[in-house]
Amino acid sequence: CLRYAVLIGDALQQILASSIRPAPLLTATPVRTLVDEQACIKASFLPSNHPVTVCARMRSDEGDLWQSFAHYNTNSRGTFDLNSDLSVGGSYSGCEPMGLFWSMQPAPGERDGLRLRKKCVESPYTVHISLLEGHVSPNQEPVKELAAVTAERWYMAPGVKRQEIRQNGLVGTLFIPPGPGPFPAMLDMWGMGGGLPEYRSSLFASRGYASFCLAYVGHKDLPGPPNTINVRDSYFQAAFQFLQDHSHIAADKVGIVGLSYGCYLTFHTATLAGVKPACLIGINGPVGSSREILRVNSLLSLKHILCILQILMKPLVLMQLEEITCPLMYIVGEDDLSVLSIENADLIEETLRAAGKSHLFTRLSYPGAGHLIEPPYSPMSRATFIFFSCSVMTVWGGHPAPHAAAQEDAWKKMLEFMELNLRR
Amino acid sequence: MSLSVQQVRMDNKHPTVKLSVHPSRALMDEAFVILVQNVPPGSQVTLHALHRCEDGHRWEACAHYVADSSGNINAADDCSVGGSYFGVEPMGLLWSLKPVPGSKPGLRMRKKNVQTPMVVTISVFKGHHTEAFMDQVPLASWVVERWYMAPGVRRIPITEQQLTGTLFLPPGPGPFPGLLDLWGGGGQLMEYRSALLASHGIASLALDYLTSKITTETGKMVDNQYFETAYRVLQQHPQVLGSRIAMLGLSLGTVFTLKMAVYSPVVKLRCAVCISGSHIQPVSGGPQQMMDLFSRNFEKISFSEQDEVIWRGLLLPIPSDPSLKVDVGRLQCPLLLVVGEDDQNWCSHESATDMKQMMERAGNDQLLTLLSYPETGHLIEPPYTPHTPSSMFRGAGVGQKMRVLWGGKTPEHSAAQEDSWRKIVTFLRRNLYGGSDPHAIHLSHL
Repeated sequence: CLRYAVLIGDALQQILASSIRPAPLLTATPVRTLVDEQACIKASFLPSNHPVTVCARMRSDEGDLWQSFAHYNTNSRGTFDLNSDLSVGGSYSGCEPMGLFWSMQPAPGERDGLRLRKKCVESPYTVHISLLEGHVSPNQEPVKELAAVTAERWYMAPGVKRQEIRQNGLVGTLFIPPGPGPFPAMLDMWGMGGGLPEYRSSLFASRGYASFCLAYVGHKDLPGPPNTINVRDSYFQAAFQFLQDHSHIAADKVGIVGLSYGCYLTFHTATLAGVKPACLIGINGPVGSSREILRVNSLLSLKHILCILQILMKPLVLMQLEEITCPLMYIVGEDDLSVLSIENADLIEETLRAAGKSHLFTRLSYPGAGHLIEPPYSPMSRATFIFFSCSVMTVWGGHPAPHAAAQEDAWKKMLEFMELNLRR
Repeated sequence: MSLSVQQVRMDNKHPTVKLSVHPSRALMDEAFVILVQNVPPGSQVTLHALHRCEDGHRWEACAHYVADSSGNINAADDCSVGGSYFGVEPMGLLWSLKPVPGSKPGLRMRKKNVQTPMVVTISVFKGHHTEAFMDQVPLASWVVERWYMAPGVRRIPITEQQLTGTLFLPPGPGPFPGLLDLWGGGGQLMEYRSALLASHGIASLALDYLTSKITTETGKMVDNQYFETAYRVLQQHPQVLGSRIAMLGLSLGTVFTLKMAVYSPVVKLRCAVCISGSHIQPVSGGPQQMMDLFSRNFEKISFSEQDEVIWRGLLLPIPSDPSLKVDVGRLQCPLLLVVGEDDQNWCSHESATDMKQMMERAGNDQLLTLLSYPETGHLIEPPYTPHTPSSMFRGAGVGQKMRVLWGGKTPEHSAAQEDSWRKIVTFLRRNLYGGSDPHAIHLSHL
C-alpha cells in the first residue's frame, strides 16, 4: 500500500513538474555559423547535479539521417556548457565543444558505408539539437525531449558568388568572395571519387580566397568514360591559367590544393610549363612512386585493383618535385589506410632537401587521423563505398577524436599558410 | 574595366587587404567583430556600412581608423577618430546608420518581414572619407546578415476571437513561458521584438490593438477585454506555460501593461516590462478613452526649433487623482521600468519617479527595477537599431503624418538600447524560467 502511494506520488510529481515549470533552456550561440566556426552549446534552468543527454540530428542532402549524442551532468546551479564540461558517455567523451558535430554517424537503420558530403553549398545543414532526460541513447524508447534548439551550418558566407564554369573544356565551379577584388585564389582538387565537391572551395571563398574546384574524373560534363581520367596536362594548365586571367583574381597569388589523387595532381600541375603557383597544399596524396602508391586493401576486389592501378600508372614517373619553387605544405594522416602518406611525405622531404629547398617544405602529421582530412567539425567515416562501385568499401582509416582534432588544426594551419603566401 | 579598378589592381601589388566580419550571420542583438588586415601600418582607412532597407531607402555609416604597426584594425578594440561615431565602438557601424544624403526626410528603420535578414555591406576604403562612397572602389568588402528570427522559431498568425497578432514560438517541445508584446501609438502589427524574444526561448505574441482587423472594419477601437482575450489565447496555447506569462509594453503599450497588471481579474503576470511609458491614464477606460485624454490635452503640445512635435507635456503634470493613474502600489509582480531621460514624446522619466514613490509608500518597491538612461530618447529599441531622434509619424486613427521629436543623442541612446535589452532579457529569463511558482501546489497538501 505504501509502495503504491509512493508510485502515485512520483507520477504526480512528474505531472506537476511539467505543468509548473517551463522547459529548461537550451541555447547554441551563434545559431547560424559557417562550418569551420564553433557554436557554443549551453543549457540552464535544469535541476542541479542532474543527468541529461544532448543529441544532434540532421539530414544529408541525400536524405540520410546522421546523429550523435553525449551524456552530461548539470552542476550545482543546474547548468552545463559544452565548452567547459565533460561528456561522460555517448558518441564522444571528455571536453569537446564541437563533439556533437564531428562525432555524428548515420543513425541506426540508415544505409551502410555513407560519407557526409554537402552537394548543395548554397543551403545550410539544419541541425536539430535536443536535450533529453537522463543518460539515454536517443534511439531507445521512450525518450523525453526536454528542450531543443536548431542550428544552421553553412558552407558559404553571405555575399560569396558561385559560378559554374564550363568553358575551354574546363569543368568546375568558381567561388568569388564579396568585394571588388582582386583576390588571391586556390585551384582545388579532390580524389578519385570524382564528381565535383564544392564545399572546400566555398569555405575558402568565405575566408576571402577565390577558389576554383575542378572536376577531372567521374563527371557527366567531362569527355570519355566516367571511370577513367580522360584529360591531359593541358587541362590542368588551362585551369591554372583560367584563374590567372580572371579579372577578379591577382595573377601572382594563385595556389593549388588537393587531397588524395588531387594531391598528386597538385604537385604535378605545379611542375607543368607556364604554371607558377604561389603555394601548394597536398593532403594524404601520392607523389608518383613506381611501386607503392597505394596500399592495396584486402577488401578491394581484383577488378577494382586493376582499375585503380591502371589510372595511376599512366603518367607514372616520380614527379619532378625538385622543380617546385614555391612553399609546399603536406598534410599526413598517420592512420591513412588508403595512401602511404607518411612515406610520401618522406619522399617529398628528401627530394626537396637534396635540391637545397628544405625551407619550402612544411609537414603536418597527425596521429590517429585517416585519409579524408576534411574541413573542421565534419563527421568522419572510417570506411565508405567509393564512386564507381557500390559493392566495394574503401577503408580510409582514422579514429574519430584524433581525426577531428586533426581536421581542426590542419584547417587553421592551411589558412595561415595561405595567408602567409597569398597575401603578404 | 574602369580606371579606378585598374588603379586598385596596381596598388594591390602589395599584400592583399583582408576584411572579415564575424559572425557573418547573426541575430540582431548579437555583436560582431570587424577585422581589417594587411593595410600599410599607420595608414588611414575608413570603415563603411551600407544597408538598403525594405522600403528601398539607403542607410550608411562610416568611421575613421588608423592601422597599427602590424597593419591591422580591430573595430572592437581600436578607436574611431572620425565619421559617424568616435571612440571604441564594436557595433558603431550599425547603430550609427543614417539615411544617405538626399533621402526623404524623417525616415525610421523598422523591419516588417522578420523571416528575411537585414543585409549590410561592410567595406574598407583607403583614406579618411565621409561622403561619396559610391564613387570609390573599396579595398575590400564583406556582407553580413542580421536576423530577427533564429532557425526553428515558428511564426503563427493569430486571428481567433477577433484578435490581430502574431505568435512566435521557440523551437522545441515546450512548454515555454509566454509574453504579450505591445508597441505604441503608431499601431500596425510590429513583429520584430517578439521574433527576437522567441529566439531567446520566450513564446511571444505581438498584438496589434490600435489598427486590428476589427477596428479597421468597424471604425471602433477595441476595449480592455481585447488584452484579456489575448492573454487567454496565450495561456491556453498547448505549448505555453499558462502560469508564466509576462507583458512587455513600449510607449502607449505601457499604459495597458500596467492596467492589466494591476486591475485585471483575468491577467496574472509573472512580471512586466514597461519602456518609455507612463501609469497616467483613465484607469477604468480603454484605448478610446486614452485617445480622448490626449485630444483633451492637445494644447499642451509644443514644438522644437525645427518644428518637430513634442508630446511629452500631454500627460503632465502628474495627477494626484487616483482615477487618473494606475495604483502601482497594488502591483504584485516584478516590474522593470526603462526610461530615457531625454524622452521628448512621453513624460516617462517623471512617471517613473512617481511610480517609484507610490511603490515606496505602499511598501512593494522591492518589486521595482528602474533603468534610467541620460541623453536617451523615447524609442528604446533592440540593440544596434539605428537611433531615430525624430521621424514622420502618424498616430493610429489620425489623418496626417507629422514630424515628431523622440529625443536622445545617438551614442548614448545606442548604449542604452544595448544595456537595457540585455537587462530586459535577463529579467524576463530570471522571472519566467527561474524561481518557484507562487501557485504551486505543495505535495504535502495532498
